[in-house]
Amino acid sequence: MKKAISMAMAVTVALSTAATTVPVMADDPVELTIWSPTDTEAIEAWWEEKIAEWNEANPDIQVSREAIDRSDSYAYDNKIATAVTSNDLPDIFYVDGPQVSYYAANGITVPLDDYFSEEDLSDFVDSAVAQNTYDGSLYAIGATESSVAFYYNKDYLKECGVDVDDLDSRTVDNPITWSEFAEIAEKCTTDDYVGAHIIMDHGEGLPYALEPMYISAGKDYISEDGTTADGYVNSEEAVETTAYLADMIAKGYANVEPITDEFLNGACATMLGGSWEIATLTANADFDWGVTYYPVNDDTKEAVSPCGDWAAAISKDCENVDAAGQFLQWLMNTENVATYAAAIAKPATRTSAYDEEVMADYQEGNLALIKAQLENTAVPRPRTPSYAVFSSAYAEAMTNIFSDAASTGEVDNDYIQSELDTVSDTFTDDYETYYAE
Amino acid sequence: MAKTKAKKLTGRKRDERIAAYFFVAPAVILLIAFLVVPMIYTVYFSGFKYQIMRPDAMKFIGIENYIELFQDKNFWQALKNTVYFTVIVVPVQCALALGLALLVSKKFRGVAVFRTMYFSPQLTSMVVISVLWSVLYNANPNTGLFNSILTSLGLDPISFLNDEHTAMNSIIFMSAWQGAGYQMMIFLAGLQGIPRDQYEAASVDGATKFKQFLYITLPGLKGTIKYVIMITMIQAMKLFTQPYIMTQGGPKNSTKTLVYYIYSEGFQRGNFGYACSIAAVFFVIVVCMSMAMKKITTSTD
Repeated sequence: MKKAISMAMAVTVALSTAATTVPVMADDPVELTIWSPTDTEAIEAWWEEKIAEWNEANPDIQVSREAIDRSDSYAYDNKIATAVTSNDLPDIFYVDGPQVSYYAANGITVPLDDYFSEEDLSDFVDSAVAQNTYDGSLYAIGATESSVAFYYNKDYLKECGVDVDDLDSRTVDNPITWSEFAEIAEKCTTDDYVGAHIIMDHGEGLPYALEPMYISAGKDYISEDGTTADGYVNSEEAVETTAYLADMIAKGYANVEPITDEFLNGACATMLGGSWEIATLTANADFDWGVTYYPVNDDTKEAVSPCGDWAAAISKDCENVDAAGQFLQWLMNTENVATYAAAIAKPATRTSAYDEEVMADYQEGNLALIKAQLENTAVPRPRTPSYAVFSSAYAEAMTNIFSDAASTGEVDNDYIQSELDTVSDTFTDDYETYYAE
Repeated sequence: MAKTKAKKLTGRKRDERIAAYFFVAPAVILLIAFLVVPMIYTVYFSGFKYQIMRPDAMKFIGIENYIELFQDKNFWQALKNTVYFTVIVVPVQCALALGLALLVSKKFRGVAVFRTMYFSPQLTSMVVISVLWSVLYNANPNTGLFNSILTSLGLDPISFLNDEHTAMNSIIFMSAWQGAGYQMMIFLAGLQGIPRDQYEAASVDGATKFKQFLYITLPGLKGTIKYVIMITMIQAMKLFTQPYIMTQGGPKNSTKTLVYYIYSEGFQRGNFGYACSIAAVFFVIVVCMSMAMKKITTSTD
């Protein structure tokens, strides 16, 4: 027993001396940690280069980044949730656009208004500022945007007798309509091909890529103020929009379980795909392809396109918000935004970035089309603290609806209504439990 | 002299006892830190309205979570799915494992190759296997192997994972295939413990192979079978990875299991308190099932 006590004492003494002998410097540099999703080699290299550049120029603010595996569309947010519970949040972390409101409403992130003046923000596209604003304050700032457009395999469409020149000639004021989309899909569905690709993934990809359909039909998922889903996601318009999509699955025009890179692999004739596909297709496609504007509702003809991308936010646990703010100001300057956007092959949020040489590709052709959509038709996803709950509930409902359509070969509007009612109930339940006044 | 000797012995005994505590300490500390403490916390949090992002705004609500839970049709659906999976997969997987063990227990050229082959799914991550099998099960015959075979035989393709009637069965089949190799190894060890002379005596008496299996192999494996059934059952109750990767709990909640429901409520929807109440009930269910199982198996002795 004595031995044990003396041992414990020895350990205590050793520990306390170790703690006191560490030299305390008066001007220790501020250390900032950033979390962002693991990305392609080009982006990882960009981070390394930029952080080295900053650390050299700012010996008093030292930055380090941790790449967090994103694996599936919700896993990264789970990681943040766990970090909140265990008080392990980094100083700065990246969040996906629609999650900004969720973190802001729960006090996980702090406002950035002091670091980005209105004049600074006027250089950013409206959709990016809108997506990152909650309750009148800016809570996140990102370098890149995204969009979704209609891609088509020209070689194959010509074989099927589709007027490809007509598709090529469409403008932002004259996009194809839903019925034209369905018609092309029908013409191009054969034993080896499906006509369309409408399921981006079974998570956030669903509400993200399909939202313009709903807005174009007249009703968004959630009310403008972010408080109500009833009468929106389960409205008559929403049921009809969902029925239109489910019909594509029921008739076999689109796969209910699309494989990765279905369009690139020549398994589908057209796709509603992200703006990032342009880079992938340019590098890898062995067929002639084109891209045009997001399809519009036949009756309203209202052009809408998705937008939003990951953005940086400062966490509530950051001890040096000023230092973090300064770093973000620098990180989001025109040159950094331009090089980051070019490396990740996504459109930039800053309009001045498009004048930089690395972004010259956006002046014409396919990328100019993406830029035009962002400037003219982009609508951010609903800004509501219950977005995460909405997103997973909607994704689940759509998967059920599509599965039902695929296995029965029919579209059942009553079933669609009941599933969308469930989405609305789930949203309302969460909003009222945690956020309603 | 005698006195001092006795004193020495007690001193040694005491030392031994201390040493024993030292040996079990790591295991006990780890169990307390990663099992007992989280369990206590789970029960504690289940009494609160607790949004995962707002630990500061926790509100004590007593047994409200439990009241809600017992009225929650998704919970009952998840329980039903979990029990269905367990009830089917346990006998199927154990029978398959025993069959494989009998096949590879014979000594013949290349038997090690077969043993390795049957065991190899165990060495692959369940995530990888789930991704691969979702491609095999794909509804489009141009992508999915099973449907490509079906259509080449002139049959209609089946939406294995997209039909609420087939999704869980598809997961059961794949899980039994993946899990059987491990139980096979345990059965193999059990088979080697049965004395050879019993079989020799039986064959001298003219017993058929089937009779030998029934009266020698099965009774000889009794202990092993009990153990295998017990661990397979507990593992089956914890089903998560396959539905998470392959079906996300769908279609129409047909593959949503209790553990998946805990995850989706706690993390995706942030209802941490509620998720804890499901976890607590889940724990009670698993303990009860294990105890019932133990009772059944010991009463047959």
